[in-house]
Amino acid sequence: MKRMREASAAVPAGGLAPGDIVRGAEEMAGAKPSRKILWGFVPIGVLQAAFFFVPLAVMVLYSLWRAEGVRVVPDWTLQNYANLFKTRMYILTLLKTGGISLLVTVLALLFGYPFAFFLVRYVRKQWQIPLLMLVIIPFWTSYLLRVYAWMGILGRKGIINSLLMALKVIEEPLPFLIYNNMSVTLVFLYLYLPFAIITLYAAIEKFDFKQMSAAADLGATPWRAFLEIMLPQTKQGVITSFIFIFIPMLGEYIAPKLVGGTSGTLIAILIVNLFRGFQIPQGAAVALSIAALITVVLVVFRRYLKVEELI
Amino acid sequence: MEKTSGRARATRIAFVLYGVLGYGFLYLPVLLLALFSFNKSAAGNLPFTGFTLHWYADLFRDYLVMDAFKNSLLVAAVTALAATAIGTAAAFALVRARLRVTEFLRVIFVMPMMIPGLLIGIALLVFFSSMLNLPLSLGTVIVGHVVMTTPFVLLVVATRLTDFDRRLEWAAADLGANPLTTFRYIILPLILPGVLAGALFAFTLSLDEFVITLFTIGAQTTLPLYVFSQVKFGVTPKINALATLLLLGSITILMLTFYALSRVGRHGGSKHGGLGNRLRRVFGRSPRHATKTA
Repeated sequence: MKRMREASAAVPAGGLAPGDIVRGAEEMAGAKPSRKILWGFVPIGVLQAAFFFVPLAVMVLYSLWRAEGVRVVPDWTLQNYANLFKTRMYILTLLKTGGISLLVTVLALLFGYPFAFFLVRYVRKQWQIPLLMLVIIPFWTSYLLRVYAWMGILGRKGIINSLLMALKVIEEPLPFLIYNNMSVTLVFLYLYLPFAIITLYAAIEKFDFKQMSAAADLGATPWRAFLEIMLPQTKQGVITSFIFIFIPMLGEYIAPKLVGGTSGTLIAILIVNLFRGFQIPQGAAVALSIAALITVVLVVFRRYLKVEELI
Repeated sequence: MEKTSGRARATRIAFVLYGVLGYGFLYLPVLLLALFSFNKSAAGNLPFTGFTLHWYADLFRDYLVMDAFKNSLLVAAVTALAATAIGTAAAFALVRARLRVTEFLRVIFVMPMMIPGLLIGIALLVFFSSMLNLPLSLGTVIVGHVVMTTPFVLLVVATRLTDFDRRLEWAAADLGANPLTTFRYIILPLILPGVLAGALFAFTLSLDEFVITLFTIGAQTTLPLYVFSQVKFGVTPKINALATLLLLGSITILMLTFYALSRVGRHGGSKHGGLGNRLRRVFGRSPRHATKTA
């Protein structure tokens, strides 16, 4: 092998020579990837260093400094982080954000699993992909517009209220439809259900359903067969969608802003208010606590991160 | 026996019904939104007083909307170009350099996808205005969008490159093609659909992007920001009309993206799951597939 490489190096550049074939064979064996290809890392490296990692590092820095009026002064302190645990509002909002995110994730899995099952089992093969695309399309369209659509339905003058009033069922708009935790949960579910379906479909599609017949033949009830055979084998999809629904929801701003009202405030709203009020160090500390939480989840579940499945 | 098949039928009916309800849940809100963009009543709710295109005409007469539209297109176009160039270069390096740290680099590069847009937006705002004292503009918006969309392009192109049959390149080289010629006539035609899909994807993501834009923009506005500013005053048929057009635009570009994805990697089967392969079954009917189904 070494001699072959020497031989190919001896071949003058340009023109066809037997050595070229040797070189080709070597590359095929995976011996010599060109160093030049490493230049491909330069643009993305510069982009992400300058406009992603450095800004995040600046946030870390600011979170350790102090606000004086609208300015940040380089006065080292851990007070901003201590406030996270001392201020009731932060603790409650953080807990509520985590709670709603968890609730929505579980709901999306509960509603998404049977739907994905329906696609795999009760839809003919040639219709599965078109129908799956009908699920995927909403997921990649604007969050803002999809939240806006719900404002038109749940709002005080929205479709539900105006319909019920036209039918003389109610005289005043129902107050509990919008601007509370329930409306936020519902809209979140609407936003993230497609994603649960997509990932669960990928997992269930790989499942060999003959095992279910075998389990039934051996006397297992459908429920037990599901719990002991199907669910463990589709675990990958369940965990993947869990991560990818739970994480983005922690930083979700639009839905609580538009349908949450004052009682549906989540941590993202709080962060924005802090920054808008020039309390940059405190805002940075809250934002970074979310980033830390996300990092923990990602590290714990790193085995299940199949980002490619998204696209 | 009778009883089991009866139960199987009941289960089937239940699941199909559930599926129909599911699609209703996914599409009814959007369809209602579109429906009320044609309503004569300005209140944006029931009763439906008659069909009109007035709100659409209104949009095109609105200087603010047109301006936002121009800004959105500009940002999305520049973002798509930049993200595609950067993402494709990175994908080549990632797939072909065969480094020991490839997996680690991949995780680093897709980080902007995992961090909520809110954090990216705020970090950039602090960085640009507090740190660099840079005036916010469409330029800073584009920077934010490129950071957010590049990982998507990278993943799309990298997946396709992994499936690439490199013997085609080596054959070209053996036949005397220089690297540039090989790239132009062998590599580019084969990966172009993947690159195009990445570009279109970046374009839609940028067009719809709201949170990062909100924090990185100066005095200008984009369509999502315009919608957001109007929504504060409640639901109006005019915004419904704008939303309908935006959704239609997104869906059209997405369909093109999916079509492009389905055209990739047909020279040598892909080992990956992912949407592209599944889509190939719909759009890219290879002759082999046709004979199998026939």
